[in-house]
Amino acid sequence: MKYFWIQLLLIAGSVSMALMFIRTWGQAKNRAWKRIAFSLFVIVNVYAVLRPTDVTWVAHQLGVGRGTDLVLYVMVLAMGFLTLNTFLRFRSLEKKITDLARTVALSEGARHNDARLGAAVAPVVAETVVAEAVVAEAKPEPADSDSVKA
Amino acid sequence: MPASDVPPITEHAHVPHSAGATVSQYDDVWLVIPAYNEGQVIADVVEGARETFPNIVVVDDGSSDNSAEHIATTGAHLVRHPVNLGQGAALQTGLKYALAQPGARYFATFDADGQHQTHDVEKMVRVLRDDEADVVLGSRFIEQNGQVPWIKRVVLRTAATVSPTARKLKLTDSHNGLRVLSRKAAEQLNITMNGMAHASEIVGFLAGSGLRVTEVPVDILYTEYSRAKGQSLINGVNIIFDITMRERSR
Repeated sequence: MKYFWIQLLLIAGSVSMALMFIRTWGQAKNRAWKRIAFSLFVIVNVYAVLRPTDVTWVAHQLGVGRGTDLVLYVMVLAMGFLTLNTFLRFRSLEKKITDLARTVALSEGARHNDARLGAAVAPVVAETVVAEAVVAEAKPEPADSDSVKA
Repeated sequence: MPASDVPPITEHAHVPHSAGATVSQYDDVWLVIPAYNEGQVIADVVEGARETFPNIVVVDDGSSDNSAEHIATTGAHLVRHPVNLGQGAALQTGLKYALAQPGARYFATFDADGQHQTHDVEKMVRVLRDDEADVVLGSRFIEQNGQVPWIKRVVLRTAATVSPTARKLKLTDSHNGLRVLSRKAAEQLNITMNGMAHASEIVGFLAGSGLRVTEVPVDILYTEYSRAKGQSLINGVNIIFDITMRERSR
């Protein structure tokens, strides 16, 4: 009973995290392996909280002194991975925003300069960006294009 | 031209004549000026440059000040990013706009803070017209003019020396904002680094492109304004980080 409260707290945290994840199950188009990894993570979490001595046993097998130390090392690794993943995600998002903003800026610019300068301002061909974006969006869901046809 | 010599911005608010109507020997040159919160000086810089170069496109990079209003009083084309994206992105947008204009053959990147001078651009365009190169870059160091603050000189020289691509092209100044590109080069260039790392990206692209690149000495006016607006040296750390992460995120 010595560890009851801390175990309760940690398990509650794991379970609520799992619930949050399940709630966004449908919206987030996570890949299957990410879901599996997460489910495993939650299970291992609960197990480790209930039987901390087992974690220590694993730590000993790997040449680490205590179970908590092993958890810490794994966490540092996971943290680094997450940071990199987030960084790359932001980069790709930034690229999309740039393409979008550029397309808007060029089409708006051509229109306004035409009116303001009174010259025939050549329309900037921005279709390539739009076309690429449409193709990229359409790919994961071929069902959409079918429904349009029907 | 020094900022003190130019009349205040309001006197520039004339009716712009239609682009291309005036016959100029530089009708085929387009100046691309990225501007971010340059409301104080942008109209003077643009009007000053328009005395020589009739075709100018200013890319307002989502400025939060009145830059766009000031640009609108000039005869320059205005393209506005709906949000701030960074100087590299603004350059790419401006180049794309200029490339679509009829008769455009040469493309110059020009700073909005008044540190570049049109007679340098004329000199650089001449090199392209004589077909001596496809790309002409401005350099602060070919002729030592003593105007560059010494700490900046040391850092920029080091950057040019340690950068393998800059060495390959035998550049003395890899981070100069004044460049003139031929149509062939401008069409190939695709700046993906939105922030300030685009200067290194451009040099890297040029090194691998097989285009003929040459440097021409230019004078940079380090005014109080441009000094205050200019890049701090610590930003070099950001640039190095951006460059190393570039390959990974493709």
